[in-house]
Amino acid sequence: MRKRKYTIPTYFAFGWLGLAVFLAIFGSFLPVDGYQVIHGDFIDSPPFTAGHWFGVDSNGYDIFSGIINGARLSIFIAVVTVGLGGAIGSLLGITAAYYRGKYDSVVNMSFNVVLSVPNLVLALALVAVLATNVDINEAVPTWRRLVTLIISLTVVIIPILGRIARAATLAWSGREFVVAARSMGMRDRDIIKRHIVPNVLPALIAVGFLAVGVVIIAEASLSLLGVGIPDGASWGGMLARGRNDLEYNPHALYIPIIALAFTVISTNHVGDVLRGRLDRREGRL
Amino acid sequence: MTAMMSITDLYVKFGTPFGSLEAVRGVSLDIPAGSSVGVVGESGSGKTVMCRAAMGLLSGSNVERSGTVTFDGKALTSMSREQVRDEFGTGMAMIFQDPMTALNPVRRIGTQISESLRVRLGMDKKAATARSVELLSFVRIPDPAAMLKKFPYQLSGGMRQRVMIAIAISCNPKLLFADEPTTALDVTVQAQILQLLSDLRRDLKMSMVLITHDLGVVANHTDYVAVMYAGEVVEQAPTSELFANMKMPYTQALLDSIPNIEMKSGARLKVIEGRLPNPVDRPKGCGFVTRCTYAQQKCHDDHPPLVDAGNGHLYRCWYPLGHTIARKQ
Repeated sequence: MRKRKYTIPTYFAFGWLGLAVFLAIFGSFLPVDGYQVIHGDFIDSPPFTAGHWFGVDSNGYDIFSGIINGARLSIFIAVVTVGLGGAIGSLLGITAAYYRGKYDSVVNMSFNVVLSVPNLVLALALVAVLATNVDINEAVPTWRRLVTLIISLTVVIIPILGRIARAATLAWSGREFVVAARSMGMRDRDIIKRHIVPNVLPALIAVGFLAVGVVIIAEASLSLLGVGIPDGASWGGMLARGRNDLEYNPHALYIPIIALAFTVISTNHVGDVLRGRLDRREGRL
Repeated sequence: MTAMMSITDLYVKFGTPFGSLEAVRGVSLDIPAGSSVGVVGESGSGKTVMCRAAMGLLSGSNVERSGTVTFDGKALTSMSREQVRDEFGTGMAMIFQDPMTALNPVRRIGTQISESLRVRLGMDKKAATARSVELLSFVRIPDPAAMLKKFPYQLSGGMRQRVMIAIAISCNPKLLFADEPTTALDVTVQAQILQLLSDLRRDLKMSMVLITHDLGVVANHTDYVAVMYAGEVVEQAPTSELFANMKMPYTQALLDSIPNIEMKSGARLKVIEGRLPNPVDRPKGCGFVTRCTYAQQKCHDDHPPLVDAGNGHLYRCWYPLGHTIARKQ
């Protein structure tokens, strides 16, 4: 097959995502200060200050180390959520569309119900309910907030990817090669595994990358609203801390915003490119 | 001769928003072991649905099937889904009409052939690959080992149909349904594929059901013929008997609509005027009545029964060819 050339934006998108993932995995080993080290002498320093390239926010936190360390939480939450939501959603969507009947109606209706609530409101409601103690003076441990956050965002992602999986399966399971596989005595399980999934996967991967963007934004929004990981070093958390200083210290806000924007644009672009590459249609001769 | 498959009084109904659609109406057909049976009829006459229903491949909540089908001494219609599935591939297999859609576009030819070998016959990877190469050479594909690595979109229609045939015969079925195997192919390739099917049938001692709308194909490649019209078998006979002693005006009309080399240039092809009757709301008389040149009042009023003309020749007509009234027309 003829190799298609990548364009410059594609290299940039792959490069940026690679960097973000690298930082997420190895960021803590880099010779960079922890994000909560307070640089009292440099409070509100602008970018390009010696030793603090990206500046320092009003708490005295170095923004460069915030970006490096923030990648970990943002990327981790996004990958886990989309992985989990994608697995559950596609399992539900594919089986529903393959077997049809009452099961399909129930699955499809629950997808629609979840989708009818705005993403952020749903996640907010779930976090608010799940990550609260009966005794409001008792602090909620960070791990529990993290788990709650992941569960809430997963619930948001399941119907998004599940619907894509269901739609693609509906189209593919009506095709003749599925009947052909049945006529050779293949089990439904094997037909789904060997014939449906390989055809549905390209669409799922493409939308999965879009979903990574959605989750990163949703996590940042939740942090901004104060229900993210408290004092967590995520990009959203940086936004939450910096928003009050917008007038006199705007870089504390726009640097994490640039990091977020680049990541989301990159995931969307990579999703598009991968869909084009993975799509092996009959027509392309 | 014993019957490999015998279909008795098969009905298939589809529930539609417009009412119940009877696609197959009381078909009875025996497929003798080792022989080739042609099922002929125009588009929409129920050939494909009849075969899929006989095999048990129709699924969906709106499908209703009645009648009995026995295969190799076992009653398929009273078996569970799993039991019937065990007969697929090793007992009966099917070749599909359109090789463009019957292969999975994202998987290599090799994996698609060896899949059924590994799942159904429990072969290991190495044995399955060796057998795949052997199967591809059976169906006369040049350089079969290289073919294993290709994707369906890299193949021509004829090659794809050969691959489909290789997959269908991979588990040595006793009965092979070929559902218009050459419709999507051009004429020169058609002849090769049909010859290949006939040769394979002889070599592998299979029975075969050949669905087609071309009586010429039937004449060359089958031992028995069943002509279907509007979901019914309207004429059924050994092939030589049918062509020697044709009874149904419909069969004659089908035969007349084949282009003939002796036709004058510029002469128009004969067509069967009109359309199939509405399958949801069938007329009470003969289904062919509005299109039949010999139609009488009786044909409008009464549904003709299946008449036995001897020599295994059955037909469904009040005034068959050779009848005195018909001749007057």
